Amino acid sequence: MATPAPAAIECRNLWQVFGPDAESQLSAAMEQAGGDPDVAAGNLKEKGYIPAVRDANFEVMPGELFVIMGLSGSGKSTLIRCISHLLGATSGEIRIEGEDIVSASKKRLIELRRKKLGMVFQHFGLFPHMSVADNVGFPLKVQGVSRKERRQRAMEVISLVGLEGREDAFPRELSGGQRQRVGIARSLAVNPDIWFLDEPFSALDPLIRRQLQDEFLNIQATLKKSIVFITHDITEALKLADRIAIMRDGKIVQIGTPAEIVLNPADDYVREFSRDVAKGQHACVDSVMRPLDQKPDNMPDDPGLRPGMTLDAALAACMQCYEPVPVHDENGVLTGIVHPADLVAALQVETK
Amino acid sequence: MSIAEPAPVTAPWVGRLTPGTRAALITLIAGAVTLLLAPYLPWITIWPDAWTLPATQWVDTGLGLVLNLIKPAARWFSWLMEFPMTWANFALVSTPWPLVIGVVTALGWYLGGASMAALGFLGLIFVLASGYWVESMNTLALVAVSVPLAVLTGGAIGILANEVPRVKSAVQAVLDIMQTVPTFAYLTPLLLLFGFGPVVGLIASAIYAAPPMARNVILGLERVEPEIKEAAMMSGGNRLQQLFLVEIPTARLQIMVGVNQCLMAALSMVIIAAVIGGFNDIGWEVLLTMRKAQFGQALLAGLVIVVFAVVIDRMSATLATDRRRFDARVTYGILGATVIVTALSLGFLPDPATLTLLDPVADSVDSSLGDFTAANGAALNTIKNGAMFYGLLPLRIGLDEAVLPFTWGFSWTPAMSAGLFAAAALIGAVMALRGNVVGGLVVLIGAGILETGVAQMPWPFVLIAVAALGWVASGWRLAVISVLLLSTILISGLWERALLSLYLSGAAVFACAVVGGAIGLLCAVSPLAWKIMRPISDMLQTIPLFVFLIPVLMFFQIGEFSAFLAICAYAIVPMIRYTRHGLVTTPDELIEAATSSGATEWQIMRDVRAPYAAPTILLGLNQTILYAFAMLVIAALIGTTGLGQSIYLALGQADVGLGVSSGAAMAILALVADRLVQGFAEERRKALGL
Repeated sequence: MATPAPAAIECRNLWQVFGPDAESQLSAAMEQAGGDPDVAAGNLKEKGYIPAVRDANFEVMPGELFVIMGLSGSGKSTLIRCISHLLGATSGEIRIEGEDIVSASKKRLIELRRKKLGMVFQHFGLFPHMSVADNVGFPLKVQGVSRKERRQRAMEVISLVGLEGREDAFPRELSGGQRQRVGIARSLAVNPDIWFLDEPFSALDPLIRRQLQDEFLNIQATLKKSIVFITHDITEALKLADRIAIMRDGKIVQIGTPAEIVLNPADDYVREFSRDVAKGQHACVDSVMRPLDQKPDNMPDDPGLRPGMTLDAALAACMQCYEPVPVHDENGVLTGIVHPADLVAALQVETK
Repeated sequence: MSIAEPAPVTAPWVGRLTPGTRAALITLIAGAVTLLLAPYLPWITIWPDAWTLPATQWVDTGLGLVLNLIKPAARWFSWLMEFPMTWANFALVSTPWPLVIGVVTALGWYLGGASMAALGFLGLIFVLASGYWVESMNTLALVAVSVPLAVLTGGAIGILANEVPRVKSAVQAVLDIMQTVPTFAYLTPLLLLFGFGPVVGLIASAIYAAPPMARNVILGLERVEPEIKEAAMMSGGNRLQQLFLVEIPTARLQIMVGVNQCLMAALSMVIIAAVIGGFNDIGWEVLLTMRKAQFGQALLAGLVIVVFAVVIDRMSATLATDRRRFDARVTYGILGATVIVTALSLGFLPDPATLTLLDPVADSVDSSLGDFTAANGAALNTIKNGAMFYGLLPLRIGLDEAVLPFTWGFSWTPAMSAGLFAAAALIGAVMALRGNVVGGLVVLIGAGILETGVAQMPWPFVLIAVAALGWVASGWRLAVISVLLLSTILISGLWERALLSLYLSGAAVFACAVVGGAIGLLCAVSPLAWKIMRPISDMLQTIPLFVFLIPVLMFFQIGEFSAFLAICAYAIVPMIRYTRHGLVTTPDELIEAATSSGATEWQIMRDVRAPYAAPTILLGLNQTILYAFAMLVIAALIGTTGLGQSIYLALGQADVGLGVSSGAAMAILALVADRLVQGFAEERRKALGL
């Protein structure tokens, strides 16, 4: 990249291997494999080790919503626990706003968690013996913030997640959706820059899930956190993400925008995921647009396509068109052309 | 389909035997060989003195050195403990009794509402009326000091094990051993260390009560959901904040279970420790009246202990539930009323020691007991002799010695032995032909044991049999460990006594398994039966060990049969509970699948519920075995032979070597039995994929 703006999170050659003395085993395996991570992971597996995350490389930009998606056992939960340093990574580099946290001291780590990091858990991780307000205020309590101030800040975030009036309830008295709102409020109590969400909506039923997703997007639109969001649900990933990383067997197989994932899957595994997805809603006209040098001499129709239109909208506009049509940008400048046949082809649900 | 199976690689017939069959076969051969050789080689039956290492003396000398070394520290600690004990004693004994009763009632309300308040109030009124108020308060004072001690030590050990994973398994092994070493065995070394006096009872009960606390703390902290721990970490708490603000409060219910068990263990041990005497507490009162054969009074004192146990247990058990809050105004109201009543009646209060309201009851119990035994003495004796002659004695010394003209009316002849073995061989052969080879072999082995008697089993046979069992239950490791452990008993010269203990506890466990299993089955089928059995089981599990001795003594006097009954009464409960629990917790889907296949109720029980419950029932058996060993030592007070008796004698003679080695031998027997049964339970659970 041309501008070296420090990424919010940066992971380089990150490995998490489970088993006794994993560190030296990993470096031995890497040496033996001549630096090929796939071969090394295979060797480790044969010895009974579990390479839960292998050679992960990615960065999350400030304000970006980065989704990690994979099936259960693909290593996504392990990966987020490495980044938040709930697990010590076996090898590799993790930088948070440029600061290496693998080598950070215990004290510094606590400091970081108190100021910069927030995390939401799949099963909420609420403290059963504390009221909603005490749960939300807990991250402030451990910093020694006064009772009054804690309460005040807790009430702010509680109203942000729409739980006013329930602040003195106990977790056992709340519904699943309400519990996760508490979890979200708690993770936002210290106003962290970086927000980890580990399958936050997976334990909820579909209606509540959709509602919380929408509210989450609203909150993010105002707060602009740098987010790592874990999910096993491709629809959720496509709906929320700026970019998606897809994991399989501990390996990141593709990183890309929702449109890239849907239209250009890197392999069969990714394709399998996006098979049942309504692609027209996630990909835009620019993904099937051809350059101007392929412009035919005459374009009879102009249904008024824009580069940012979804394919569904474009197709609806082009129902009566059989010849290539022009695409104009916001200022009316011709930027490319689209073959209606390409639209149809892109939207074809794969039947393989 | 007639696809040819690959022909088996010329398997010799041995190769096709299951491990169980092979083990049974080896055991049978070992038994037969030792039985045949025994007349020619006396060392097979009786371990020669010449081979015995003076381990007991070594233990005595070694421990003596260590004990002398730490004696000054112990005496200092003993001196230190005098203070809280005196305070607690003073506070409880000299507080006017209405105040004590009022405070307990208020506490009952605070913890569990009206029912608990009533329980506390009525319980203490009973204690007051019995005339054992002062003795009870003395006992309570000991408990009041030993429990905080045990809770703190146990809690600290639990937290340590949680924080330092490397020591966890070691800590758990030590806790296992501490709970299998019989309670009396602690007392002898403690006596030497701390001198006579109530401090020994205090320390012993703290030692005995700390392990359950530690165990529950470990368990509770382990069971805190990982996400809750992670949430505490991600909130930026340091380790102490995570532990004390999140993990311990989250685990509080389990920790409170520990406090409840800790209280009960402390109470039980304080009462047992009364055998060393020198302190006017309620346990001593029971012992004294029992020795004087004043059973009415003994029963009364025993009931006082039971009342305490029930009140303490039920009240502290409310701590381990997510309890409702009860109106605090009532608590204050009760306290206020108590203070007013106490203040007004001060000066008029009768001295609780002079209260003998229940003495007439005790006397009438005594006289009616006298009448009853006079009227039914013959029947009681018939029961006792019948059980001894036809059950316990043959099991102990074998049919060949137990069958005498005096007992059975005729003498045992070699021809009868031959007949016994022939019958066993026939049954075994039939079972083997019907597919149950292991069962057939076990019948033969059983016949051999019945012929010789458990207490006279040749030691090579015992070792080989245990090795075989260990191997089948869980593999070579267990077999080797079991044999090594048992060998230490053998070479230290405690073997005969160990076999005697094994025989009595074995007989009790067998009886418990059969009767308890049957009751458990009944309770599983009939809700009514469970409704009746449940409070009885609860009560039997709450009563301190010591109290079981009173009723059996009343009817059957001192002797092995009384001890047997006392052990059974205590050890039968887990068998009932686990059997029922295992049978009723079969998943509904399995029952529905069986029902829709057209199985009858009885078929479901036999083919679905019972196999599914097997691991649970085995765990119940395991508990029953441990309970039986625990009671065996207490039962030494009313006449048993074997290790229990040695431990009790050692206490009287302050013989640390004998006391500790016998205690260790007892613990070894319990540990080996525990591991064997656990091994089988684990194997069953794996086979079921649980």
